[in-house]
Amino acid sequence: MESQKALKERFLELDKTVGPGDVIVVLPFNLTPTARKERVDGLVGFTKDKIKVYRDGALDVEYDIANVKEVKCVPGIGCTNVEIDLGEREVLLCRADMSMNLLYATVAKRLNRYLESGVFDASFEEEVDIYCPKCMRPYPPGSNVCPHCADKKKYLSRLWDIAKPYKGYIIASVIMYFIISALNMLGPYFNRILVDDYIKAEEIPEFAGFLTVIACIFGVSLLSRVLTILRSLTMVEASNKVITKLRSMVFNKIELLSLKRVSKRTAGELINRVTGDTATVHDFVTYQLGEIVQQILVFFAVSLMLFIYDWRLALMILLPAPIIMVAHRMFWRFIHVRYDKQWTLSAKANSVLHDIFSGIRVVKAFGMEKAEMERYDKVTAAERDIAISNERTFALIFPVLGFFMGIGEFFLLYYVGNKILGGTMTLGEMQQFSAYVSIIYGPLNWMANIPRRLIRVMTSIIKIFDIIDEKIDVADKENAIDLEIKGHISIENVSFGYDDSKDVLRHVSLEIKPGEFIGIVGKSGVGKTTLTNLVMRLYDVDEGSIRIDGYDIRDISQESLRSQIGVVLQETFLFSGTIYENIAYAKPDATREEVITAAKLAGAHKFIMRLPDAYNTKVGERGYTLSGGERQRIAIARALLHDPKILILDEATSSLDTETEKQIQDALQQLAKNRTTLAIAHRLSTLRNATRLVVLDKGTVAEVGTHDELMRKRGIYYNLVMAQRQMNRMSPEAVKISESA
Amino acid sequence: MSDSRKSEANNRPASALRDVVKIVKLDDEVAAGNAVFYKNKDFLALRAKLENENGEREEKNWDRVFLHRAFPFDDPYEYISVLDKDQNEIGIIGDLRNIEPNMRKLIEEELERKYYTPTIKAIKQIKERYGFSHWKVETDIGPLQFTVQDTYRSIIRVTSTRLFVVDMNGNRYEIPDIHELDRKSYRMIELYL
Repeated sequence: MESQKALKERFLELDKTVGPGDVIVVLPFNLTPTARKERVDGLVGFTKDKIKVYRDGALDVEYDIANVKEVKCVPGIGCTNVEIDLGEREVLLCRADMSMNLLYATVAKRLNRYLESGVFDASFEEEVDIYCPKCMRPYPPGSNVCPHCADKKKYLSRLWDIAKPYKGYIIASVIMYFIISALNMLGPYFNRILVDDYIKAEEIPEFAGFLTVIACIFGVSLLSRVLTILRSLTMVEASNKVITKLRSMVFNKIELLSLKRVSKRTAGELINRVTGDTATVHDFVTYQLGEIVQQILVFFAVSLMLFIYDWRLALMILLPAPIIMVAHRMFWRFIHVRYDKQWTLSAKANSVLHDIFSGIRVVKAFGMEKAEMERYDKVTAAERDIAISNERTFALIFPVLGFFMGIGEFFLLYYVGNKILGGTMTLGEMQQFSAYVSIIYGPLNWMANIPRRLIRVMTSIIKIFDIIDEKIDVADKENAIDLEIKGHISIENVSFGYDDSKDVLRHVSLEIKPGEFIGIVGKSGVGKTTLTNLVMRLYDVDEGSIRIDGYDIRDISQESLRSQIGVVLQETFLFSGTIYENIAYAKPDATREEVITAAKLAGAHKFIMRLPDAYNTKVGERGYTLSGGERQRIAIARALLHDPKILILDEATSSLDTETEKQIQDALQQLAKNRTTLAIAHRLSTLRNATRLVVLDKGTVAEVGTHDELMRKRGIYYNLVMAQRQMNRMSPEAVKISESA
Repeated sequence: MSDSRKSEANNRPASALRDVVKIVKLDDEVAAGNAVFYKNKDFLALRAKLENENGEREEKNWDRVFLHRAFPFDDPYEYISVLDKDQNEIGIIGDLRNIEPNMRKLIEEELERKYYTPTIKAIKQIKERYGFSHWKVETDIGPLQFTVQDTYRSIIRVTSTRLFVVDMNGNRYEIPDIHELDRKSYRMIELYL
């Protein structure tokens, strides 16, 4: 994508009426606003007072920026639009294919901020660009480094920095590689002596010499094996140490990154970085690197030997090698394409099977067994057909190819045979020769694969360092203070969005006194959870500030901040481990009595004691399955044990029945004394203890006040309450259903 | 049980469904003269006299309406939802072909603008690299280049011959019939079928 600099230059060239300092931002577009399909080349320039649209070099239309109420990015399907709201009407400004969607969304958001504040934040280009500016290839998912253009030497030297403490191992194994390669050369040499000087000797040889040769062959073979074992052991030791270090570096880094950075990538992506990419590097270092070194050594050593013996013979062997390599690769590519297809079909058959079995209740309930059988038969038949055809091809081509690849050997045999008959070569020499030939073809086939392997491992190395190098964006300041929190929170003019395209919160201001119980209500998606995330500083605000006891939370150390905030989330997550460990998660030194007290307070003790293993019951993955309500109570106990100064309850009691909820509410109320509490709830009855209620609407604070005040106001809160009351009155069942859902 | 009675019994649940939920068919309303689509500056607008909750007809005007296909792949000209600017459905155009040509043209234009899908005529090159495939194609709007991530999964197979390729940005390219492609193009895409 063109840079803003280039776009501005192009725009200034078209429009001579504006000065370079007046252009705020320029958007390119490539589709007409009408339904016509063909592409155009257009620019929309946003200047200090005008919006000017140029299409194919000519001014199309212009608008006064003073009239613009809002700039909107409206994505279609396969195309995206920028529209402006002029108050009395909306106008389609420009339209482009989806490659500009992210740019449009980001710029639209920033332009809206500009319209309000007069300041344009131009630092978006890096976020928007998913292509490497050098080679125009896309970055790998979740990465900002191009594997093509990255300085590969730099990364290798950094890998070496990590490997340095183990260089003793590495040097030792390189030396062993040399020795093993040399020993491999010796085997055929002794064989020749054995054949020429003893087995086919003219006169009867002495037996002692014969024994010595046999012993030498034995010794060489034994030494080579022993060294191979030793080398493997050294390599495994060194590479495992290096990789473990690398892996923990990646993991530690991910843990330190802010949620904003981490959630840009999926959990699978991250796991892949920690395990997959490091495993690729590990495999390469442990098995392939050594192999490559050894194969190259062997290749050159054997070539040298062959040339020393007979350069014509050596040429005869080496010249056809590239042709054979190419033929081999072509054959494998051909086979690969066909087997790929078979693999895809078999994956499809498996997924159909998976689909049917996981939906077996639905299949049976609707009596669709027969239809599903047919569906499965159809995919397996397709797989069968291609499998048969593949096997046929393979059975036919492979032997033929092998035959043609062996043709060189016939010529060799002819040439060598002639020499033996002519007496210029001995039988032993011939044997040694053919041994070398078979040794040399191994590395040849191997070497064809080296570039592919190198690319693969390089990509992984770059991806690993990409994470390690990432800047920590929510970082402690150097002089961050440890604060003893009293609980006064003031939120001042805060705006925030998770990504660059949309603000979730806009100009939110709120003053919370120590010990207040604040209920946050509003429709889903209005930013309730976001607000609590910002108070915890899981994200940094984009604009404005959040202060606790008068200190900006960016000046407080994160450890001190979070150790005094307790959170109970809607989705409670239990780690694999016992119930005890889960409750004591944030306070590992808690006594058993403290844990039990917390559990009692959270209403969890009773059901825990009904379990056969009580507090030692294993939960989490592969553990005892707890119900949603039980999990929530454990999470509440976890937060209570933490003894926080600020308590955040995000739909904390939503999956409990009314009775239990009331119990916990009472417990929480006890606990909430002298603690600032922020509670989010859809069920408004949950918030009856709140000192004040905050109603969020469309990312802003719509109403603030006590229950009575807000009811009198007859605003959003009033409507919410009325809607819920009506629902409850409808039928007792309806209430029950909504409670348990 | 006679055949006619059987079919009547079979029909009962369907007609019951229809009694509970009513679909406002805008093509029928247009035909009956109760609705008019018209162009309002850049956008499509609608004036219609539709039944409200009490079953009375009420004239209303929408300065701007949005269209959304219910079956974009199966049949792009049937079941098109007409929405107001808060994304509430005003009604459904059951079959665009029922609407008189002038109005139909306006609606088609609006659809073309929302659904931008070049048609691939020939494939010049597909190159796989690092989990992406780079395509060079000839389309109805000229030569295009694009990049597809996770190629196999980015191809929507509508039928065994008709498919859509979705590139990493979310652009779509249609291949209406893979057998219409020339042999070289077909060879290249065959792997992903």
